[in-house]
Amino acid sequence: MISEAKFHPSTELLQEFAAGTLSAGLNIAISAHVEFCELCRHKTSEFEAKATIDWLQTPENHSSSDYSDMIVKIVSQPQQNNMEQQDSSLSEIHMLDHSVSLPKVLAKAASNGLVWKKLGGGIKQAQLSIDDETQCEFIYMTPGSQTPAHKHQGSEITLVLDGGFSDELGEYNRSDFIMRTNKDVHQPRSDEGCLCFAVLDSPLTFTKGIARLLNPINNYRFRRSKSLRTI
Amino acid sequence: MIAKPAYCIIMTQLPMTLDSIALSSYTVKEESLPTPAASTAGYLPAESLNPDSDESLLTKVGGQQCKAAFNTLFDRFANRIFAHGMKITRNEQLSKDLVQEAMLIVWQKAPLYDISKGNAQSWIFTITRNRCFDILRKLKRQPNFVSADDIWSGESSEIESCNIAENDFIDVEFVQIKKFLLQLPAAQQAVVEQIYLYDKTHEEAAAILQIPLGTLKSRLRLAMGKMRQLIGTEND
Repeated sequence: MISEAKFHPSTELLQEFAAGTLSAGLNIAISAHVEFCELCRHKTSEFEAKATIDWLQTPENHSSSDYSDMIVKIVSQPQQNNMEQQDSSLSEIHMLDHSVSLPKVLAKAASNGLVWKKLGGGIKQAQLSIDDETQCEFIYMTPGSQTPAHKHQGSEITLVLDGGFSDELGEYNRSDFIMRTNKDVHQPRSDEGCLCFAVLDSPLTFTKGIARLLNPINNYRFRRSKSLRTI
Repeated sequence: MIAKPAYCIIMTQLPMTLDSIALSSYTVKEESLPTPAASTAGYLPAESLNPDSDESLLTKVGGQQCKAAFNTLFDRFANRIFAHGMKITRNEQLSKDLVQEAMLIVWQKAPLYDISKGNAQSWIFTITRNRCFDILRKLKRQPNFVSADDIWSGESSEIESCNIAENDFIDVEFVQIKKFLLQLPAAQQAVVEQIYLYDKTHEEAAAILQIPLGTLKSRLRLAMGKMRQLIGTEND
């Protein structure tokens, strides 16, 4: 996959990704970017080496258990002599009106089917139920669409999967990984149309015009979707 | 080889001071990191390794189904795996399950371990990390159609070696902030750099820039006002 991402996950995020300490939603977004981006693949392997060293240096935690039965059980199992066939190609899936090749991890996450909702302004959204800490969704901006200006109470990660969009701070294309924090107000627009994967750790707050009326609704929806998932 | 990200081209036009800040702050973080090249380049063929090394033992487990070698590896790693489990799950039973699941994978996949692709510790660590992720998701009853092996599918091993200059990789947040910073008058930029990038105190920054403390504080106040305006935090 040749891709020249201009925007990458921060060093801290990649380190935590390598160490395995992030939520599933963030892991998926970073994994998908890493599949696109040779630079971040390289960084991840460096950080895995670093995480291994940290791991070896942490004080050992001795459990009281006697593992001898466990060892006997394990060595009675057959070993695996062949590499499992790993399909390294991107999966092509049909989304709305055209087909897009997705990073493997996202194709897997979307394999149960997506339900698209219209959000107005030419924006469509399909939520995924991934974990309790984040809200994960595909966002599709139809050509010429513009989202209402909004800021975030927490952070929002957006990975561009197809097409592109722009906001006050830049232009983003396939494989770009953008992180917005609660300080940023932005108003994304897309001339050519854009498919993104987004991970939010709290609901959006719209800052301008009529869209502000959505704020209580978004807060409610977020709490509700979180509580539904924890049941 | 990766094409240089577009923002790097823009950055070459920036004042040298800011560029060197970006590079130096990043390089410092990286110094302690062993590169994969450094951690694997020294490896010799398996037979010439110290027979007691983790790599030799793992190779014996894989090639000869050697139970004694597996026992030794188990003794060396079980408590570490348990500790990782406790750190992530804070649950003793789950951490024991993690020891069992991770060491079972070590046994099963040992024939696939390839010494040229990395050391045994990293190999066992990624197995531990992945099993732990899956155990935790199962516990939280999160939809399991995405597993750890989908997320870390490279398992740290399928990376083509490539040379990447440190300055190709700069935090996105920093690039954004820098864009605003560059719109400030030079005198204000210098103050913000000292305080926010070098973490100097007001007194230290005033001494470095050879300006009175009062001047520094008023420049900083003006700079932050302008930055807020540029970033456009429209609190309503």
